[in-house]
Amino acid sequence: MSESTDKLITTASEPVWKNNPISIQYLGICSALAVTVQMKTAIIMSLSLMFVVAFSNLTVSLLRSIIPRNIRILVELVIISTLVILADQVLRAFLYDISKQLSIFVGLIITNCIVMGRAETYALNNPPIQSFADGIGSGMGYGLVLTSAAFLRELFGSGSIMGYNVIPSSFYDAGYENMGLMLLAPGAFIIIGLFSWMQQTIMNK
Amino acid sequence: MSDSIKSLLFAIILCLVSSLLLTAAYTGLKPFQQKNVFLDKQKNILMAAGMLDREKKYQSDEVQQIFEERIVSLWTDEDGNIVEDAGGEGKLIPIYLCVENDKIISYILPIDSRGLWGKIRGYLALQNDGATIAGFAVYQHAETPGLGGEIEKAWFQKNFVGKKIIGKDGSFESISIAKGEVSKRIPEVQQANYVDGISGASLTGKYLTEGLREVLTDYEPVSIRFRGENIIRYSEIK
Repeated sequence: MSESTDKLITTASEPVWKNNPISIQYLGICSALAVTVQMKTAIIMSLSLMFVVAFSNLTVSLLRSIIPRNIRILVELVIISTLVILADQVLRAFLYDISKQLSIFVGLIITNCIVMGRAETYALNNPPIQSFADGIGSGMGYGLVLTSAAFLRELFGSGSIMGYNVIPSSFYDAGYENMGLMLLAPGAFIIIGLFSWMQQTIMNK
Repeated sequence: MSDSIKSLLFAIILCLVSSLLLTAAYTGLKPFQQKNVFLDKQKNILMAAGMLDREKKYQSDEVQQIFEERIVSLWTDEDGNIVEDAGGEGKLIPIYLCVENDKIISYILPIDSRGLWGKIRGYLALQNDGATIAGFAVYQHAETPGLGGEIEKAWFQKNFVGKKIIGKDGSFESISIAKGEVSKRIPEVQQANYVDGISGASLTGKYLTEGLREVLTDYEPVSIRFRGENIIRYSEIK
């Protein structure tokens, strides 16, 4: 494998685990609380975010030498919101059912701190391809935490995985009950907190 | 060129480029989106009327075909008359009839309710006895996915089927969403007027209950007609 591909893979894999946007950098927590009640919404949200971070990183990085420093945050914001609206419009035109499920959350990617954070700290100082890889990696890192949290929340909160019931009804007859806390935002806080704790413990070994 | 003028120029160009991009995407994709919205409405009217199997996937032309065969779009006035043309005097509200061989099986009311985060829009179908709910479907809402958003799910909507909008004595009762399970929370006499609520989303339930009551009150004149006179033949309306 050539050196440059090696470097790209390192760039992309770093934010997946070692520098995870949610559990290490503590960014984008708000959306992580909102869309992790079910796995399906969590996965599609992660994919949309990945698209937006990757391309906003790419665009910001391409323009990095001509973006005037004093208005750079505004420029990043315009680029990000343009991409988010594009993603939302495309979903509405071709994946209508899914866009209905995600409702307001696609639009809220604009306010997701991960997108802005990566543009500001990475894409402004690195070449386009590297920045793109970093965006993909950040999207995957976000997705990793989201799907893990959503898996636990859906399993314990609704007794299903990807919308399919997995807890047999005999369990319910025997007195098992779904955990209401898992459906609410505090449940997500606790899970993401535990995830972060677990990750830090493993990494510090 | 001074720095601030450079920044201003850059900002203007950036805004122009992005607005061009968005305008192009918006106008280019609009026909697709409108078609989706249109089809989705038809699909939901049919779903409320119980004409579509919820588990099955339908092609868009299948939906359109069933819709054209079964559904007639009409208007109703304050006295509960069903009329064909919206041109008449008085306040007219839309109503859909589900017809099979000239027999009206059910009538469908558009629901426009307040929700927790935004409007809840859908359809409620009532059987030709003017009292029993034939089905319920939601096509637009902004409730929290997994909580209030469950109103769009089959398990929630299925609970409406067979419920009554009138009480045991025959007077108008509307249909309400219970807090929790009906069998545990609601006295036996009223159970026919309640559906199971969604845990963690009692506000959505509260607003939707209010919205359904408003719509059913608006359509009460026509429901009374159905209850009393048995308007069953479509040709009699025409």
